[in-house]
Amino acid sequence: MPGPHPPISKIKKDDNGSRQAGQFDHGSHLSKDGKTFFFFRHFSIRDQIYLGTILVFFFALVMILILILNNNRVQKQMKFLGFVNDFSLEIQQARRYEKNYFLYGTNLDDALENIHMAESIFIKESEEFSKLLGGKQALQKIPDKILAYKTLLEQLYLLETKGKNRLSIKSFSKEDELKLRGFGRDILTSAQLMAAFEKANLEKTLFRFQYIYVYSFLILLVFLAINSYLLVIRLYSTFKQITIHAKRVSSGDFRPIILRQKVRDEFTGLLTSINDMLKKLDLRDAVMIQDHKIKAVGTLTAGVAHEINNPLNNIMLTVHMLLEDYNDLSKEEKIEMLGDIAAETDRSKKIIRNLLDFARESASTMESVDLSILLKDTLRLLESQIRLSGVQVDLRCAKKIPKIHGDAQKLQQVFINLLLNAMDASIKGDKIQVTGSLGDKANSVKVSVADHGEGIPKDLLPFVFDPFFTTKSKGKGTGLGLSVSQGIIAKHGGNITVESREGRGACFTLSFPIINFPENSIFSS
Amino acid sequence: MSKPLEILLLDDEVIVGKRLKPALGKIGCAVEVFQDSALAIKRMQEKEFDIVVTDIYMDGVDGMQVLDLVRKKSPRTKIIMITGHAMISLAREAMEKGAFDFIAKPFKPDDLKAVIARAAKALGAPIQFDDKKVGG
Repeated sequence: MPGPHPPISKIKKDDNGSRQAGQFDHGSHLSKDGKTFFFFRHFSIRDQIYLGTILVFFFALVMILILILNNNRVQKQMKFLGFVNDFSLEIQQARRYEKNYFLYGTNLDDALENIHMAESIFIKESEEFSKLLGGKQALQKIPDKILAYKTLLEQLYLLETKGKNRLSIKSFSKEDELKLRGFGRDILTSAQLMAAFEKANLEKTLFRFQYIYVYSFLILLVFLAINSYLLVIRLYSTFKQITIHAKRVSSGDFRPIILRQKVRDEFTGLLTSINDMLKKLDLRDAVMIQDHKIKAVGTLTAGVAHEINNPLNNIMLTVHMLLEDYNDLSKEEKIEMLGDIAAETDRSKKIIRNLLDFARESASTMESVDLSILLKDTLRLLESQIRLSGVQVDLRCAKKIPKIHGDAQKLQQVFINLLLNAMDASIKGDKIQVTGSLGDKANSVKVSVADHGEGIPKDLLPFVFDPFFTTKSKGKGTGLGLSVSQGIIAKHGGNITVESREGRGACFTLSFPIINFPENSIFSS
Repeated sequence: MSKPLEILLLDDEVIVGKRLKPALGKIGCAVEVFQDSALAIKRMQEKEFDIVVTDIYMDGVDGMQVLDLVRKKSPRTKIIMITGHAMISLAREAMEKGAFDFIAKPFKPDDLKAVIARAAKALGAPIQFDDKKVGG
């Protein structure tokens, strides 16, 4: 096959005309269907799953990136916090030594060393420090203060190395000492401020971690839930539709499935295959209906062959008597006898024509059908069988049954089938009631065939429409009659039901929808 | 010829009686024709016939029941069955039930005449009928 869906015209050609007997309009449905398949976008279930997975993957990637960046930041902040800590420790140490110097005259060189260390730390991390202290101004301030502090210490150190007693250092005034201590305090305060600020920052970053975790998890959960929901809805609704169609198919309606699909997906392929299968089933069904009809024709032919013996006998007797007594008969008598012959030939013709009308293999033609006329014709066709079985068939039709749209020959096949079954179930003298009436809701026509035979056991009722199910003796029934009938009725959009009570008989009821056609009135005149 | 053969002819086809009555009359039979089996049975209660010719499939009481009735009521009466539904099984059933003969429709008046002649012979009241053209 070239594509997923073979062109309709081709199928019709393969299927040589005569086989169309059981065919109901398949083509238009399918071509519409086919177009739908071709024109709609392709978005398969697999695509949806892939797309969902890719989106989840990218989302996870972004999440990981954000977390890594945040992590880096924490690391940096912790490292910097370490530096700030070192810096303030150095400053604190320097101040302690400097204090010692003023109290005991020792440790001046240690203080100098500490302040050098602090300065080097600050220079190394100046960029970071500048951020923390609110721009260049602050950055300028700290090194200035460090420089001032260092300079004062160095001056002290110079005086010291010149061998002078700290008490004798008069040039280093009390004022300078206070200045020195002030600078030290300022630097320390700034360092502590920095540490506090950075600690707060770190806490903020850690808190952000928590946020990212919770929100990304929630978003992921919501996304997965939505995706799953959409996927389930899509699968569920399609499966539901297919299930409904499958039920329809099992009742013998082989019209193709048309799903309300917006996109092409895996189901499109499945549907194409199912519809292909349905088309083949429909063909096979048509063959089965035809086969079954041939069998029914066989049964009827035997009856008709016998039935025709009656008029034939009348003709034969009349002709022989005419030959024998020709000269003795009056003109009126001869005319009467010839009239009888004419009437009996006409009767023979009608008997045969009824059968031929039914037996003729004709293309399925859906037309306006008057069920009351069709039922009468059917009973005439079955006259011989009815006479043979010794049952009485009572036909009652409501006066004005709306016409239905259907295939008269196939419907007759159903009636024949039901009547032959009813006759089989009946014994001599039983009555079979055939009723034609308007349905309960007045939008349908009902035909029922009720017998007063043995009835169908309750446990067998669900199976009577199954193909090859029969209670008749071997060789008598094929078990296809009701199955074929159900198929035919389903194709008319109708349904067939059975009611039965054991020992009381069975009643099969057919229901057909009334379809309005604007061109002609549906009511029989 | 002494007394005519009394024949009852029962067939729901009007033409059968209409044609056979004069035909059988010509060979010395007194024929009473009925289309309704109930009326025929009623008549048979009143009078014993030599020969009963009956169709098998009729509305109401059918030929087989008539056969049973006649066999019960007057065993000497010969019964000839005629039917369009000529089936071996049906013929066998009729013969087993004691029918004198079984004729399938369509038949010629002479076919029936020949059977009636044989029946008359069996009854010990032979009638004049040349069945040369029928035999075989």
